[in-house]
Amino acid sequence: MRLKTRHRAVIACACAGVLFTGFSARLVYLQVGKHEEFTAAAAQKHSMKETIVARRGLITDRGGEVLAANVPVRKVILDSTHVAKPGELARLAAPYLDIDEATLEKEMRSGTRYRVLSRTLAEEKAAELRRKMSDASLRGLYFREETTRSYPNRTMLSHVLGFLGRKDLNAESTIGIEGIERSMEHELCGQDGFRHIERDRTGLEIVVYRGAEQAPRNGNTVELTIDMGLQAILEAELDTAFSELKPTTATAVIADPHTGEILAMASRPTFDPEFLGESKDEEKKNRAIMDVLEPGSTFKIVVASAALNERVVNDKTKIFCENGSFFYGGRILKDVHGYGQMGVFDILVKSSNIGSAKMALMLGEDKYYEYVRGFGFGEKTGVNLPGEVAGILQPPQRWDKLTITRMPMGHAIAVTPLQLTMAMSVIANGGKLMRPQIVRAVRDPSGDIIHSVKPEVVREVIPQETARFVSSALAAVTRQGGTARLADVPGFSVAGKTGTAQKVDPKGGYAPGEYVVSFIGYLPAEDPAFVCLVLIDDAKVTGGLNYGGVLAAPVFARIAEKSARYMNLVPTMKAEAVLPVAFNQNGTQAAGTER
Amino acid sequence: MTTTAPAFTHSNPIHIAPLVRWLLVAVAFIGYGLVFVYVKNQQHQLGQATRVVERQIAEERATNEVLLARITTLSSRAALQRKLQQGEIALKPIAQNSIAMLTPPAEAGDDGILRTAAMDPIRP
Repeated sequence: MRLKTRHRAVIACACAGVLFTGFSARLVYLQVGKHEEFTAAAAQKHSMKETIVARRGLITDRGGEVLAANVPVRKVILDSTHVAKPGELARLAAPYLDIDEATLEKEMRSGTRYRVLSRTLAEEKAAELRRKMSDASLRGLYFREETTRSYPNRTMLSHVLGFLGRKDLNAESTIGIEGIERSMEHELCGQDGFRHIERDRTGLEIVVYRGAEQAPRNGNTVELTIDMGLQAILEAELDTAFSELKPTTATAVIADPHTGEILAMASRPTFDPEFLGESKDEEKKNRAIMDVLEPGSTFKIVVASAALNERVVNDKTKIFCENGSFFYGGRILKDVHGYGQMGVFDILVKSSNIGSAKMALMLGEDKYYEYVRGFGFGEKTGVNLPGEVAGILQPPQRWDKLTITRMPMGHAIAVTPLQLTMAMSVIANGGKLMRPQIVRAVRDPSGDIIHSVKPEVVREVIPQETARFVSSALAAVTRQGGTARLADVPGFSVAGKTGTAQKVDPKGGYAPGEYVVSFIGYLPAEDPAFVCLVLIDDAKVTGGLNYGGVLAAPVFARIAEKSARYMNLVPTMKAEAVLPVAFNQNGTQAAGTER
Repeated sequence: MTTTAPAFTHSNPIHIAPLVRWLLVAVAFIGYGLVFVYVKNQQHQLGQATRVVERQIAEERATNEVLLARITTLSSRAALQRKLQQGEIALKPIAQNSIAMLTPPAEAGDDGILRTAAMDPIRP
């Protein structure tokens, strides 16, 4: 009996021993053998790498005025596995998220662990919703820090600033899509930081288990060469011209001819970068660098400079202008008025097509082409803005017999408004082609300069004496007898050139009655403070008024007059009162509009 | 025949000293355990407090940035121009004797014209 009892005890102990040995072996297997696997599984379930979003850099004008800022918002993410009371939470959150309550409740019952309900919930609304959720002991919605871009000046300078967007629909973050936002993306975006965190089963972070952490590097501030004072003047006048003349498009640029800095740049129609969905693609184009057009007579500065510099003509040379009708290459080239013998000076002042064509013929195709390229046409200016086009300039091998007579008057070539501005800067600054600059400096978030952009001379196109001679002729253009009397600014000597070009018809040839008119000039002519281009495409006025000297020159005059006052320029000559032209639809022309 | 009291050869006397020793060890272990749990809880509470403070700082910073953005918008050139046009604000000329001129003022000619005003007033 005793033996039997002991036997039983031994068997029981042995069984228990085997059982616990099995448990121990299993424990060792799970703890040691499967350590890596289960650690990874646990980490995946509870650990995560939390992104600390870097703040995008600001964009300012040259005076520090903020042009693009950040507004903190919250991205609302739903983890429906954490939602205990879907109905109650949906009722609470629906008004904040602007989602139908039934739809939201359905989402909350879907079992999804990650669904973005809103990307741009305002900070104060998010705080209120979170407080209400906390009071009602509800959970399942998470609020992640985000920022949206704010453009305080709305439509002003929108083509230069550009806008942000997502690379694709699923992209988490935004990047620069257009304008400075795109070209300076690498400076503005900064670098996101991160933090390894663990969450408990309720989704809250367990702070004591925080892992490696890297602070974000906020984006740098980009300081533009733009002067918002001048920009406001330019845009206000462009708006007035756009509403009165009703053109298809209008473009204006102000630049410093000595440094190549762009001080103001605007196009019409325009768009509001905070309401991108409401604008068409055409409105978002920065026409100063993306549109190409035949420049018309403003292009005569190139042939005059080239002919003078190559000494095929001098200031005393007389060219016979065929009394207004020149038969060449099987076609007749005409001037608006018939002229006889004229010097280079008068050819520019009177804007003779025939005189310009004859100068080009004297130069020869190759030499003329060389100067056209020298002035920067046919290649991108290299301005730090995306989407710039090079224009259209064919090499002499592809010219027909008429091209050499048509290009000097701004036909058979397509240029961008910025190329034209920089070409006129060559005359204004004494012969140097400058690289246009739009970024003045890059500053770190604390405001210290990281690097500043220095003026860059692309090439010396013509010597100073040639530039001075052409400039003196351009100064006469705005005086009595010139084609742009209305570009005169009382108190200042203004140099400039009008341009009137018939629009190219997409079907071939030229569109009847449609003109691109322009005026490009600078002041004071002796020592220019700025160059300004005004370009109006297909103004809805009667044919007799559709000239650069009538439509674009007065707009230039108003911009230049206000700009001179803004820049505190001291008048260089005695003021003479000039009556402005009236922009009316019945064809009435004001005094002083010779052309 | 004499009778004697039965001897307790297999008695289980309580040995106080080892018992106390083991009890002390057990108490020490339990104490360590409790302290560990207490410290751990404190650490978690501190973590929670850290999280709350971090959130408050983030909220304050976000509120600050929202207000800065609002100030930037309200004081932007476009907003000021709009207010000026609507008459909410006005430009008041500064008295000549209150202006410090950095460049010498240009003098008007015989006709008294220095430069015209903007052409706006006489435009149709």
